[in-house]
Amino acid sequence: MAIQEAASPNRLTGAAALFSSLLAMARKEFTIMTRYPVEFVASFGQVFAIVAIFTLAGLTFASPSGEGGNFGGVIIYGFILFMFLSDTLWTIGYNIRREQKQGTLEALYLSPASKFASLVSRVSNNLIWTSLLSLAGVGLMTALVGKLPFANPGLGLYLLGMSLSGTFGIGFAFAAITLRVKETGETLANVLQFVLLILCANFFPFGALPAGLRAISHAIPLAYGVDAFRSTLMGYPEGFPELAPIGVEIVIITLFGLLMPLIGFWAYRVAEDHERRSGGLSEY
Amino acid sequence: MIAEASLGSKLSIILATARMRMLNVSRYKGQLFVEILIPIVFAAMPILLGRATGGAAAEANFLRNTGTANYPAFMLIGSSTFIIVTFAFWLVGYWIRFEQETGTLEAIYLTPTSRVWNAAGIALYSAIRSLISGSVAYMIGSLIFGVNPFQGQLLLALAFILIGLIPLFGMTLMFGALVMKVKEANSLVNLMQWTVSLLMGVFFPVSVFPPLMRLLALAFPPTWMVNGVRSALLGVGYFFEEWYLDLAVLWGFLLIAPLLGFWVFSGMERNIRRREGVGEY
Repeated sequence: MAIQEAASPNRLTGAAALFSSLLAMARKEFTIMTRYPVEFVASFGQVFAIVAIFTLAGLTFASPSGEGGNFGGVIIYGFILFMFLSDTLWTIGYNIRREQKQGTLEALYLSPASKFASLVSRVSNNLIWTSLLSLAGVGLMTALVGKLPFANPGLGLYLLGMSLSGTFGIGFAFAAITLRVKETGETLANVLQFVLLILCANFFPFGALPAGLRAISHAIPLAYGVDAFRSTLMGYPEGFPELAPIGVEIVIITLFGLLMPLIGFWAYRVAEDHERRSGGLSEY
Repeated sequence: MIAEASLGSKLSIILATARMRMLNVSRYKGQLFVEILIPIVFAAMPILLGRATGGAAAEANFLRNTGTANYPAFMLIGSSTFIIVTFAFWLVGYWIRFEQETGTLEAIYLTPTSRVWNAAGIALYSAIRSLISGSVAYMIGSLIFGVNPFQGQLLLALAFILIGLIPLFGMTLMFGALVMKVKEANSLVNLMQWTVSLLMGVFFPVSVFPPLMRLLALAFPPTWMVNGVRSALLGVGYFFEEWYLDLAVLWGFLLIAPLLGFWVFSGMERNIRRREGVGEY
């Protein structure tokens, strides 16, 4: 009787079940995270070092009067998006690989828990942690170069949310690729991260890119995310946003944020289905 | 009673360890490609940032702040040295952890040799791999950013790198001891590679630091290494005005750091073997 009740369709599907499994999986990931306290301290130190390196590099181009354009805002707001991108791009695929290596993937598939919740839970804790790191990064940058421009926080948050949602979609799609290419996924993620770092101009204005590369940037929705996010928070100084008028960028980012998770998750299910049919899901 | 290994045997351990790891990494061609890509992309960011924020005055401002107007070469040298330093930390510092993960640590401890020869083999492997990656990245990066890679005193620059490598490996051995103790190797290596990059002035001269931090930076061999290479190739100026004085400081590090590294590593290893066992992770 109890088994029947537990397995009733109402308890296994729907928003409540999805939320409950997401919460349980996120809690499990959090428990694992707390086992590595050095990681917490090290990630803070790492952010401080990276921000300091690029800020000091920017200052070497400053004029004697101390003017160096908007480089503080350009670097820090681009860096924030880069950190979130790093979280979502590889973490989901990496965790699937980890389940395969640990031999726990099979157990997950035996449970009736939502696969979507399983994927999202891989990055949910990281996102909270990255938010804290971002605040720390802003604090350090302020200490190094003085007060940073900070305008339109509401719209900035919306653009961050939508960009994040879009990168979740990229993360799902990348997890799908990881299922297919296995260990090569890590190398691919590295290459992709570096390519996006240049094409999305996280640490410099798009104007610095050669014309050919800038044309490619125009075809990447995430590039609009970076451009709109930092331009909005900097209060649209002269020349910003660089890729398109802000209204157009908001529409592109909204579509990216709404559609990319669906496309990414669909790609994941297709890859997963293929691997299950070919018997490759438990192989690594 | 096993007789003390001859010098030839010790040398063969070094070569065999390096060869084994080279063979291992040759299976991952994508990874080798990324290693060349990293310094170029890494240098591209401050170069593009400088071009955008400095505009027409970028070169003049950079010259005033660093001693050279050739900022692409300055950044490329920094990022190529960064890859050498990073490799040293990942490969030598992570060495014991790597053996633990692959399950080969026990086999190493069963052999009648000191671990220091294995560590030397890993250092040789790290040196070969990072020098190739760093040099190729510098050449390709120079082509991309329109820099002459053969300007300045190349041999002197090479001397700074080769002499600087040994104290660097000594440092990473000390770091390896810390990794053995704390166990969270990934986090520590990640933190360390960025901290050392900051301290050695990967994209800026260390003169921008406040006095205490500058003193700390000067206690790191990579700081002398990167400044020596920049001075030899771009003429930014040695810390002690003359190249031989800076090189002498590196020689000083060369004598102290490996011995200190070995002493710390051996002490930590002995301590851990007595308490919880090195095989535990």
